Amino acid sequence: MNREPSARGGLGSVRAVYLVARREFVTRVRGKVFVIGTALTVGLLAVYAILQITVFDKLNTTTTYHLAFTAQAERLIAPLEASGPSLGFRVQATQVSNQAAAEPEVRGGAYDALVTGDPTSPLVVVKTQIDSTLRAALDGVVRQEALDAQLRAAGLNPAAVEAQVRGASIHLDTLQPFNAKNLQQPIIGMIIAFCLYLFISLYGTIIAQGVVAEKASRVVELLLAAVRSGQLLFGKVLGIGLVGVLQLAIIGGAGLALTVPTHILSLPGAALGTVLLGLLWFALGFVLYSLMLASTASLVSRVEEVGPASLPVTMVMVLAWLLAYVVFIPDITAASGGPTPAPGIENLSTIASLIPVFSPVLMPIRLAYGDAPLWQSALAVLLTLSSIAGVTWAGARVYANSVLRFGARIKLSQALRRVA
Amino acid sequence: MVDRLLEVDRLAKRYGAVAALDELSFEVGPGEIFGFVGPNGAGKTTTMRIILGVLAADSGGVRWAGEPITFADRRRIGYMPEERGLYPSMGVTEQLVFLGELHGMTRDGARAAAAAWLERLGVAGRGAEQLQRLSHGNQQRVQLVAALLHSPEALVLDEPFAGLDPVAVDAMSEVLRDRASSGMTVIFSSHQLELVEQLCDRVGIIRAGRMVACGTVDDLRHSGPERLWVDVPSAPDGWGAELPGAGLVRAEGSRRLFELSPGIDDQGLLRAALKTGPVREFRKDVPSLAELFRQAMNEEAVA
Repeated sequence: MNREPSARGGLGSVRAVYLVARREFVTRVRGKVFVIGTALTVGLLAVYAILQITVFDKLNTTTTYHLAFTAQAERLIAPLEASGPSLGFRVQATQVSNQAAAEPEVRGGAYDALVTGDPTSPLVVVKTQIDSTLRAALDGVVRQEALDAQLRAAGLNPAAVEAQVRGASIHLDTLQPFNAKNLQQPIIGMIIAFCLYLFISLYGTIIAQGVVAEKASRVVELLLAAVRSGQLLFGKVLGIGLVGVLQLAIIGGAGLALTVPTHILSLPGAALGTVLLGLLWFALGFVLYSLMLASTASLVSRVEEVGPASLPVTMVMVLAWLLAYVVFIPDITAASGGPTPAPGIENLSTIASLIPVFSPVLMPIRLAYGDAPLWQSALAVLLTLSSIAGVTWAGARVYANSVLRFGARIKLSQALRRVA
Repeated sequence: MVDRLLEVDRLAKRYGAVAALDELSFEVGPGEIFGFVGPNGAGKTTTMRIILGVLAADSGGVRWAGEPITFADRRRIGYMPEERGLYPSMGVTEQLVFLGELHGMTRDGARAAAAAWLERLGVAGRGAEQLQRLSHGNQQRVQLVAALLHSPEALVLDEPFAGLDPVAVDAMSEVLRDRASSGMTVIFSSHQLELVEQLCDRVGIIRAGRMVACGTVDDLRHSGPERLWVDVPSAPDGWGAELPGAGLVRAEGSRRLFELSPGIDDQGLLRAALKTGPVREFRKDVPSLAELFRQAMNEEAVA
């Protein structure tokens, strides 16, 4: 036989993983689930943004009062206008010659109110009733006017008195200062951890189902004759992971495009570093958990059995999440002025965040917090990467031992023992 | 064998207490069509899976061109698993191209080969459709294309004829003969023994994980004791029961089947027959593969 060395090399690992990942990506992105799911989400976002602009914003807009003033009461216009912004109204003032001339227009609705007479006790004419905000504002202005009149009568300069009064204040000594930044960052960390949890739940499940579907359609036997089980496993995780990233990018991008111009949400610029580091952990966490989910899924033969089979993995994920609450909620409370956490909790968070299955959830929070030293961060990344390698190895073994066995669920220990 | 492309050497595999393969050995040369027959559960599928590396043997090995088979070697085998399997909701051409690429082809090369094979097997024009929209027979043709696409040096086909109509059987046989004549080695298993007899250069009969007979169809058919049919219409009823060196197997009307003892010349039997009067028929009884198969199964069952 001719055995030319060039042909014996075969397919490289990278190419095998790429081909598997590309197939997953292309077929899923074209699939109904992806197209409809993404379009629906973006559509919902758009509806929300449109509602925000057309309905909700309208609810908050400042009202404008059309007021008529006689010459005597005109002095009230300036202080009334000044109090407008804080109470949420604007004043459109019109001068009228006398009460009798303006009354028909009040009755007709052209003016909300007519103000006439002595500024310290003016007469206000309205059609049926006076708006409570307008009444409060007018009362305030009139009281100030009365106070000024009294001050002047006592020989004092009202402006000087007001300046003195305004200058007086308490002196504050904060024992545990509230720091908005300290609160914002762990919350962003929590959000990233929660997104990771959602993302893994959604796309990890899709990967697990894909593994079982390949097993159920028996195509896996043909694939394993051409690629190694580890390559198949990794390609699947990568391809479907990228589908998730694309979907997230489309929805996130659309969300930002819709919300930032409408001021529904603003991006905290200072948190960008946190977000980027969070994304690194996001990727690591997704790969680690997906590999575990895919391996456990290969133990069963039917899609309905995926849930129970992957329960241990899901439980670890939930545990990580619970830890995040137990460990970090007290810290967040402390940052916003609550009691300081017990010192033991801090050690727990440090140790837990170094354990690979917990790192992807806990590390983003600690990073956001700024309480993780660089060496701990680096160590956690290293440990997680090596467990990804370990899980790929063990997963490939479980996969190879299970995917060709149909019917009853295979025990994990059994799948690990047999070498294929 | 002058030239061995694929050798299966004393393979053993147990599933718990059951021995699926028990020191199974055979070899196949380039351009040869090897038929693999045996009852269900005899170990044919297990053997093929081990050849393709999707299962591991407990002991023994597979050699490719004289050396232990490698992962790269296996990519040069076209495989049709017993459990047919392709992606049901993926396009026909699309998944063929994917499988071709997994076997090291370029995208364009795989596309061209897929088109050519689909055309040849009469499923051209269905390439853009989802596989699940095709009939069972057409899906099977696509499955064969998946095995042939990357111009493998050897084909390993597990029950390629199962469930095919006669036209499809002819098309598939034609392709296998053609490939073998251009040097491709073909191993296939089948329960259709007439087909195996027609197609195969050599046959292996396997039972309970052991090879019970292996050789060319002619060798196997002539390997047993010599049997002869003799038609002697004038012979008395009890004739033939006590002839030296020739045992009477059975009688059907005036025809009698004899089994000659080893080393006995058939001319002695002819002379004895002629003494009874005219001899209308005197011919060797060569068992068909189906008969050999049944014999092999029975012998094993008795033993």
